[in-house]
Amino acid sequence: MTDGDVFLLLGVGLAVLGTVRLVLTGDHLRRVVALNVAGSGVLMVLVAVAYRSNPEEPDSVLHALVLTGIVITVSVTGLALAMVRRVERDEQDRQASHE
Amino acid sequence: MTVGLVLDLVLVTAVLVSAGLALFVPGRVASVMMFLVFGLVLAVVWARLGAPDVALAEAAIAAGVTGALLLDAVTERPRRGPDRRVGPRWLMPLLGAVAGAGLVVLLGAAALQAGPVEPGTGLGPTVLDRTDDSGVSHPVTAVLLAFRAYDTLLEVAVLTLAVVVVLSLHRDGRLETVPAPGAASPVPDALVRLAVPVIVLGAGWLLVAGSSRPGGAFQAGALLAGALILLRLGGIRLAVPTGRWLRPAVLVGLAAFLTLGYVTVALGQGWLVLAEPWQGTVILLLEAVLTVSIGACLAVLFVAGRRPAAGTGRGEEP
Repeated sequence: MTDGDVFLLLGVGLAVLGTVRLVLTGDHLRRVVALNVAGSGVLMVLVAVAYRSNPEEPDSVLHALVLTGIVITVSVTGLALAMVRRVERDEQDRQASHE
Repeated sequence: MTVGLVLDLVLVTAVLVSAGLALFVPGRVASVMMFLVFGLVLAVVWARLGAPDVALAEAAIAAGVTGALLLDAVTERPRRGPDRRVGPRWLMPLLGAVAGAGLVVLLGAAALQAGPVEPGTGLGPTVLDRTDDSGVSHPVTAVLLAFRAYDTLLEVAVLTLAVVVVLSLHRDGRLETVPAPGAASPVPDALVRLAVPVIVLGAGWLLVAGSSRPGGAFQAGALLAGALILLRLGGIRLAVPTGRWLRPAVLVGLAAFLTLGYVTVALGQGWLVLAEPWQGTVILLLEAVLTVSIGACLAVLFVAGRRPAAGTGRGEEP
């Protein structure tokens, strides 16, 4: 097993850990964190594949894909957090008006 | 070789521990803090795997902007509401562990088979051969803005769409009702004065450097967003466009990209196909516009998550 393989498997592990937590937690904000961890795992698989094929000059197509992935992740995170905060604000306001 | 092995071991452990803590530590605040640590460790991993562009983007976008978004969210509500639990206490963790272990084995076996394993295969060598034809000398920038410019166009579209949806949660799709921290600013004035010029200078450097070495519009845009957010938190309300300039700032990147696409079609070169001798200049100009737009989009995402002033949010009783 090469060093590229180690990071490949680490990426798989992160993706699975994040996904399991994403499904099992009821806390909206922590779901966003879990989604980010899972996404990082997927990106790590891509970077590790690029590194494994040629450690001296890794595949720049995969690096470009990962850059795209990072920007998409932050877009999704910003959108998800805005919605989570809106939902929790409404819950809080409803509780306040009941009391 | 042994030193490298030890460093790898430290890195892998750091990634696993920080990710595990970010996911499973009790308490939202601790989780977000550990996620920030995780992002920084990841940046080191990307550098270790020979991906300096990704490392820069991770540090600026993932650890920087995502960190600001998460921290702002978690400061508003440090605790979550009551939980609804299904079944006995041990059931869900057990199911998760079993499903997770199965997935790791399946996906791990598949991933080890994936991708070009032999050196000299895959698209990497082709890109290196053709980089000189693209007008820039850095292969990742060549892929992003010449060979696969269509992907980048759609990526800018996704970012713009996310901002548009977030804005739709506000009255009239504008952000003027979101209060800016004034005198009670959480950021010391001196820090803003010192940091912002350096950050903006760094963003400019990353933008120009992207043509020939790691860097580019997205890393520069993320830095710019950081500077804008810092300015707004420092009490300079106009730093992030919230009124008349909001929509132009958010849309200019996508608009410029689309215009370029139509111009190249009109010139008979094909969609987003750039030709000699202007391609290097056009790519740099497009990146400059994208940097401004991405910076504005990310800063707007941050501002739009905050609570509008009382009585002005949509959906509240009159």
